[in-house]
Amino acid sequence: MRRILPFALIVPLAIGWLRLRGEQSGYYNTEFGIALFATSTMVIFTALILLSARFLNAADTERKRVVEEIWELNEGLEQRVNERTRELESVNKDLRKEMFERGRVVEALKQSEQKIRTLNEELEQRLSELTDVNKELEAFSYSVSHDLRAPLRAIDGFSRILLEDYSDKLDDEGRRLFSVIRKNTQNMGELIDDLLAFSRLGRQEVMPLEIDMSKLAQSIFDELRSGLQGQALKFNIDSLPNACGDRAMIRQVIANLLSNAIKFTRPKRECAVIEVGSSANGTENVYFVRDNGIGFDMNYADKLFGVFQRLHSQNEFEGTGVGLALVKRIVNRHGGRAWAEGKIGEGATFYFSLQKEGGAE
Amino acid sequence: MTDMNEVEILLIEDNPSDEELTQRALRKNNIANRLHVARDGAEALEFIFATGAYTGRKVENGPKLILLDLKLPKVDGLEVLKRVKTDERTMSIPVVVLTSSKEERDIVDSYKLGVNSYIVKPVDFDKFVEAVAQLGIYWLLLNQSLR
Repeated sequence: MRRILPFALIVPLAIGWLRLRGEQSGYYNTEFGIALFATSTMVIFTALILLSARFLNAADTERKRVVEEIWELNEGLEQRVNERTRELESVNKDLRKEMFERGRVVEALKQSEQKIRTLNEELEQRLSELTDVNKELEAFSYSVSHDLRAPLRAIDGFSRILLEDYSDKLDDEGRRLFSVIRKNTQNMGELIDDLLAFSRLGRQEVMPLEIDMSKLAQSIFDELRSGLQGQALKFNIDSLPNACGDRAMIRQVIANLLSNAIKFTRPKRECAVIEVGSSANGTENVYFVRDNGIGFDMNYADKLFGVFQRLHSQNEFEGTGVGLALVKRIVNRHGGRAWAEGKIGEGATFYFSLQKEGGAE
Repeated sequence: MTDMNEVEILLIEDNPSDEELTQRALRKNNIANRLHVARDGAEALEFIFATGAYTGRKVENGPKLILLDLKLPKVDGLEVLKRVKTDERTMSIPVVVLTSSKEERDIVDSYKLGVNSYIVKPVDFDKFVEAVAQLGIYWLLLNQSLR
């Protein structure tokens, strides 16, 4: 609009100059010229005013439109802001609730943590007590193995010396009495050894490996065969499935069962038969040692596996009564069971189960 | 009594019954001529290294064979074994542990210290006599030692 200002000056000047030129050229006289000047000036300025008025109007309309648009947008924004605020408020409320819940959970967790810590302390205490007891037991069995044997040896030894050096002063009865002494000391020595083996077992670690049971049974029998004292014996091993367990311990189990079978078939003058076999039972393999020896009374079946439990006197059959207890302990350590069936005069079958591959202990 | 410089077998044993039985077993097999007995670990060390009551001895005249019990008063059997096997003058003397203990720990420790043989004394006297005879004959007659 400021551009009009220069026009306001230039236009009248220009028209004035034109009039003068026209007048000087003789087209018209002064009055006409001035009238022309005034008229044209008025026309031009009117035109200019009209133009600017249109321009201004358009600008104004545009402005009004824009303002309206802004208004609308503003209102929309306000609405959206309100909505968002409401959303945020509700989310906030939920969050606060959750935080409260979490707080409760953390409290509960802290309490259980405290409980666990207390339990742990008790466990540690118990563990250290048990370790001490174990150490005492170790010392005890060491003492037993060492110190108890020495006097036994002396008793046995000096009885023998007496027998040797004073044999001429002793009659048959005297000699018999001394042999009773010696027999008892030997017995005691075996008892000590068996007791030690039994207690040591409880402290030993099981080292599970795959065991070829057929080979093991055969090799044990071959060893025992040498002490057979001229028995006529028929021995039969079925092909046995492999087992998973501690080789030394399972060897002890089979050795004990086989030597029992041999011992208790000795009275059978006709052919004694010992059989080793197996059957599968779900997740376990059941192995058995069967003999046709003197058998046992099923009423005492549960006593069989007790420590130092015997169903016969020392005179009938030697032994300390620990063999089967050892079997049961070892088999239990491997997660299996041991049991027996028998009939007096007809024989006995001793069973033990072991987990199938991949399930020991 | 044996001249202290002509001892062939040193028996280190605190139990008098065992001592008597061992001597008898050795005598039965004619291997007990030059036997000396030490009744605890300290006396044994004094004898072997010619100190204390045995300063009259010469270490080089050491016994040809040492029979060692493990549980000894004063100085323990394993300690004696260690001293013998780590001294240059005595390490070549064969040491046979003769003990009641069958404990794995004792066996392992003894072999770790360089024992030549470990024998568990059987309760049965006959077997004991046989064991002593066998070891006496082996270490004194059959085995070629340095002395």
